[in-house]
Amino acid sequence: MHSPIHGRKMKTITNLALFFTAWLLTSIALAATHNIILSAERLPNGQFGYKMVSHTSDGAVANYPVEITIPGPTLFVKRGDVVNVQLINETHKNGPGIKVGFNVPGLSIGNTDAAAPGETKNYRLNTHKTGTFPYHDKDNQLLGLFGAVVVDDLNGKVQSYVDGDGTVISANRAQLDKEFVMFMVGSTFWGTEISADGTQKPLWTNPTLSAIENQLVRFHVLAIGPSHTFHLHAHRWLDETEDKNPSAPPHIIDVKILNSPADSHAFTIKAGTGVGAGVWQYHCHVMSHMESGMNGKLQVVSAESGLPGDSIAGASPSGAIFGNPSDKPGLVTFIMSDEPGSWFRSTRGDLLKPVTKTQSLEIVPPGSSVHFIMSDTEGVHTVTTLLWPSEAEDNSMGGDHFMIPFDQTKAYRGGGIVELHIPGLYVFTCKIHPYMFGAVIVDNPGTDGLDLGNTINLVSGIKNLPTSSDLATRLLRTFFVATTPENWQDFTSSDPWKVAYPNVDVVVDIGKVPLIAVLDSRYGNDMILPPLSNPAIPGVGEVWINTQFEKTANKTKPGTITVLDANTWTLKRKIALPQINMNNPHNLWPNRDHSVIYQTQWFDTKLTLIDQKTGALIKNLRVGDTPSHVMTLPHNDDATVAINGENGVVIIPAGTTEVNYMMPTQHHGQAPANPHGHWVSADGKRIITPNINTSDAGIYDAETGQIVARTQTGEGAPGPHPIAIGMMPDSSKIYATNLLHHSLSVLDGNDGTLLKTINLIENYNPISGEITGPVGVLPIQTPVSPDGKAVVIAATGGQIVIVDTATDTIVKMLPCDPGCHGANFGAKKDGGYYAYVTSKFSNRVIVVDVDPNGDGDLSDADIVGSISMVADAGVANDDTVSSLAGYGGQGIVALPNVYNGWVQNLSGEWGAGLTDSQRNPIR
Amino acid sequence: MRRKLSSEFPAGSVHSPGNDPTAYRRTTLSVWSIVPIAVFLLFFGSAAVAGNLHRIVMHADELEGGLYAYRMEYHEVTDKNGNTTNLTSRYSTAATIPGPTIVLEEGDEAEIELMHVFDPDNPKQEHVSLHVHGVHYDIDSDGTLKYINLYKDESATPVMSYTYRWVAASGTAGTWPYHDHNMNSHNGAEDKGLFGALIVNPASGEERVKISGTEQNISLSNIEKDYVLYIGDDAFWGMEIDNATGQQTPLWVNPTLTAQRNSYVRFHLIALGTNFHQFELKSYKWADPGSRKNINHKVLGPLEKHVFAVQATHSASYQDSAFSSALLGMKGDFIVAD
Repeated sequence: MHSPIHGRKMKTITNLALFFTAWLLTSIALAATHNIILSAERLPNGQFGYKMVSHTSDGAVANYPVEITIPGPTLFVKRGDVVNVQLINETHKNGPGIKVGFNVPGLSIGNTDAAAPGETKNYRLNTHKTGTFPYHDKDNQLLGLFGAVVVDDLNGKVQSYVDGDGTVISANRAQLDKEFVMFMVGSTFWGTEISADGTQKPLWTNPTLSAIENQLVRFHVLAIGPSHTFHLHAHRWLDETEDKNPSAPPHIIDVKILNSPADSHAFTIKAGTGVGAGVWQYHCHVMSHMESGMNGKLQVVSAESGLPGDSIAGASPSGAIFGNPSDKPGLVTFIMSDEPGSWFRSTRGDLLKPVTKTQSLEIVPPGSSVHFIMSDTEGVHTVTTLLWPSEAEDNSMGGDHFMIPFDQTKAYRGGGIVELHIPGLYVFTCKIHPYMFGAVIVDNPGTDGLDLGNTINLVSGIKNLPTSSDLATRLLRTFFVATTPENWQDFTSSDPWKVAYPNVDVVVDIGKVPLIAVLDSRYGNDMILPPLSNPAIPGVGEVWINTQFEKTANKTKPGTITVLDANTWTLKRKIALPQINMNNPHNLWPNRDHSVIYQTQWFDTKLTLIDQKTGALIKNLRVGDTPSHVMTLPHNDDATVAINGENGVVIIPAGTTEVNYMMPTQHHGQAPANPHGHWVSADGKRIITPNINTSDAGIYDAETGQIVARTQTGEGAPGPHPIAIGMMPDSSKIYATNLLHHSLSVLDGNDGTLLKTINLIENYNPISGEITGPVGVLPIQTPVSPDGKAVVIAATGGQIVIVDTATDTIVKMLPCDPGCHGANFGAKKDGGYYAYVTSKFSNRVIVVDVDPNGDGDLSDADIVGSISMVADAGVANDDTVSSLAGYGGQGIVALPNVYNGWVQNLSGEWGAGLTDSQRNPIR
Repeated sequence: MRRKLSSEFPAGSVHSPGNDPTAYRRTTLSVWSIVPIAVFLLFFGSAAVAGNLHRIVMHADELEGGLYAYRMEYHEVTDKNGNTTNLTSRYSTAATIPGPTIVLEEGDEAEIELMHVFDPDNPKQEHVSLHVHGVHYDIDSDGTLKYINLYKDESATPVMSYTYRWVAASGTAGTWPYHDHNMNSHNGAEDKGLFGALIVNPASGEERVKISGTEQNISLSNIEKDYVLYIGDDAFWGMEIDNATGQQTPLWVNPTLTAQRNSYVRFHLIALGTNFHQFELKSYKWADPGSRKNINHKVLGPLEKHVFAVQATHSASYQDSAFSSALLGMKGDFIVAD
């Protein structure tokens, strides 16, 4: 019965018989007409999906689920069929609606417009080719608006399979025992099972698929959004390419790429053939997707076991979550976004916010899953637990085996999914953008009050911290401030600063407490903000400030550059660059003659070159994923850009507008360093990067690109998160802030030897909250004054810390605003320097004079003024500010650039306003 | 540190440790007892093996800088007539990235014992495994944790080796990755250096090559060199096999590949990591497997493989032209000389 074909065997007789049977049947049934009515609706967790309303045809019709499903109904048709699809948009019925379309890349004909809420649109498909095709909405597809169209051959022939003895056997749809549609979206599989009788069963997220050994199973693997590779353990199948070569050996694979933006791959397997029964994992083989939960199981049961081989559905958007009782496991979804505040935005955040006061908090019962989708961002991210209930890490306590803490080695595009069983508070962040926060309370419905758990563990290595401690509640308060723009400080208003919290009782280690009363009593509320005031002595030149969260009318992405005239303390210009949809401008630096400002877009892939005089766009160029900081080399004016989402610093040679090469921040094969706020030594010999992912400061030879040293910071704590570098003007010392270790590392400027670690929270008691001296909680930028006397640290906990470089000790703490972030020095008129300090969650810049009387004693360092970043109507702009005016203060650079090494190269125009000692700061 | 002993031993896993003393320093309580060939025959000798039977012992070693790598300890092969050949000298004596290339023929079986020689006090490193693609194996050779396979932890641990059985059954010809699946988490440390290639040569003994514009089948014995090129997120990792001697030479990162003019050479590309790649070998064309297409570049995602043979007629360069790969200098020369 076996005849050899191309070195293989094919069961030809069986196949011939099947072919004729199929041919006889299909030759009777000519092309069918399908009239399909779909609706698009909102699911209980706020995601969207398609639902089958009706499917009439003169051919066979599947048995569809009555509910909305993700993926949507699988549309089985045959080549040549007429397929009319009517889409009713009912997304407005359970919350705000969205426009929804129905697009099938390669098959759509005619109308492709989206239907507005309440509208109906008609679509038609051209079924001229066989295969499996994704259908989807164009704008909100990643929230669940996708499904599969399967165009089968007229005679029912489906993909051949590889039998256990190596023979390649052709197959007919009538022989299939079941089919699986598996969509790879973000970092999650969304599945549907189609039984032999055509019944479609939703399997939702990361399901356990099942089949009896030797059953024939067809997989339709599809993807929309970022690329994936599908792998199924212990099985192999044919890669049937379009341009198949019959004389070549069959291409047998077990991993297949699904390429962005939409792709599909269909194949048939004989379950367990050659390998037997077992639980075989399927997963995406992209490492970061594996680490973010993109896997499931195929359980192959033996015929003798008597087991039915039924698949088990995963957590679903219609399952049990807060406000939606169900007996099925539920799933909440966070959209990861470039939008200020709602960086992790629940898909039902708009409905929750009246209760939770934020769109970034979800509440679920134990056993639910949390799902993340990077659907509203141009950057790369990680999904990383910042804190979690201590018990969740302990497998013996029923925690998730190896899943908590949740993290990935490499930033990526995709999403994440994790099942949570232990009640308590979980806060997720992105390691690259560490103020992106999303929180989940896993609440045991049997307790009175929301369960925050007894103790939490922190990513920085703190274990078993009581939830009633000051540090725990301080972090909770930080979460509510950061994620809710209404809770930010508005210095243009005379109203007191009010922070809104949910009006709930929470259960902590000491029992049930009212959340608002606890937070208000510990941290106050309705506080009167200090008045704005101009410094008495003017500054020199301009201060360019990244008001990273300010929104304007003609672009979707946030962020402007605010140019402050330091002579008059008035705003000169707002630069939004709507023509490139400038996205989260984070840090900036001038070229030598100050004609060009280099601007990074931190949630994007671009570096933007801007004309200093006019604010006009010169060029927008791709430099890599999530560029954070930019600086020039003082001696040759090359620009260096830290590629925070990747593993290096790219170089743009002076006078050019192209990236030349990337200087790797680690050796080949090592974990990416993810450098953030680098600094360049005044002599141009060293580039120093704070490597957030590998907990070190990297010292690199600027000329050769070689690694000189990589010095661990944070005293061995697991995740100190070195984030910004400052350097002495004589290149002798390096200062590195450790965001999550709350410390300042002092290193030798040449070889990187660790000299000292200054604990910035030595005077803080994390349990009682008692503060007995200067502290700097969550320190970020840390420039050294151009004369080398002082380090100014902007600490996002709301402090400015001054360190004396002569002794490397803290000499002063000054108050700052929530999300205090950026700091940089500019010239003060007639000598001396100002440190300009910005805050993410306020709309002013603070001006600090570290040595007002110029006597070298820093103990009189003080705030000498603060200026609003909100522009009035008279300020020049290239777009109209629409919301979040003046917010998001981050990167700063003062022109003229007065740092040693750079100041000497200023043109006459820019150097003219400086004193002799400012032009030679360390002579 | 676990001290569970023989009750958990997988069948056939007990084996002579060979001559690396470092491997056993920390494992005095374990039972790496010397077992004669009889035990081996007890388990495998009676099985009907269509091809050759390979007995392999590998180690997973820790390297500098947070990387790990596999090392070949021992490889012998017994043919159908019972003749046994020791192939161990073909391999590097050091751990390499990629790990040892295991070459089988369609029909062969391999029994691979993996030994764990990391820091036994680091609980995150308690497990290390071999998960192989493409070939047949039973559920206890999946190389995964119980969390995944709902059966058992299929790992070498500091106190216990683990033996995997791979069957290069008919229909499994091709080049397949093997990698760790169990260290640190249920995803393993494949991205930290624990990967290598398995080449299953077809029973037909032939490979397709384009010669003077026409695709032809040539005998595998005419292929002078095999290059294994793993495409990581920031570098190519190479290994060369001289088919005249079977000798394997680690080439490490972004290697220069050399070939005799007009000889036939075969490239085995496997991607690994998080990035997607665009491989190019400039001024060469080859057959896209299974397809009529002749190509000079190939898009590859993590753990996809791409195998092709060419006649080395002229020097060229290879590269990954994906955006960040190109900036990081992921390229090398292919030098063809007389």
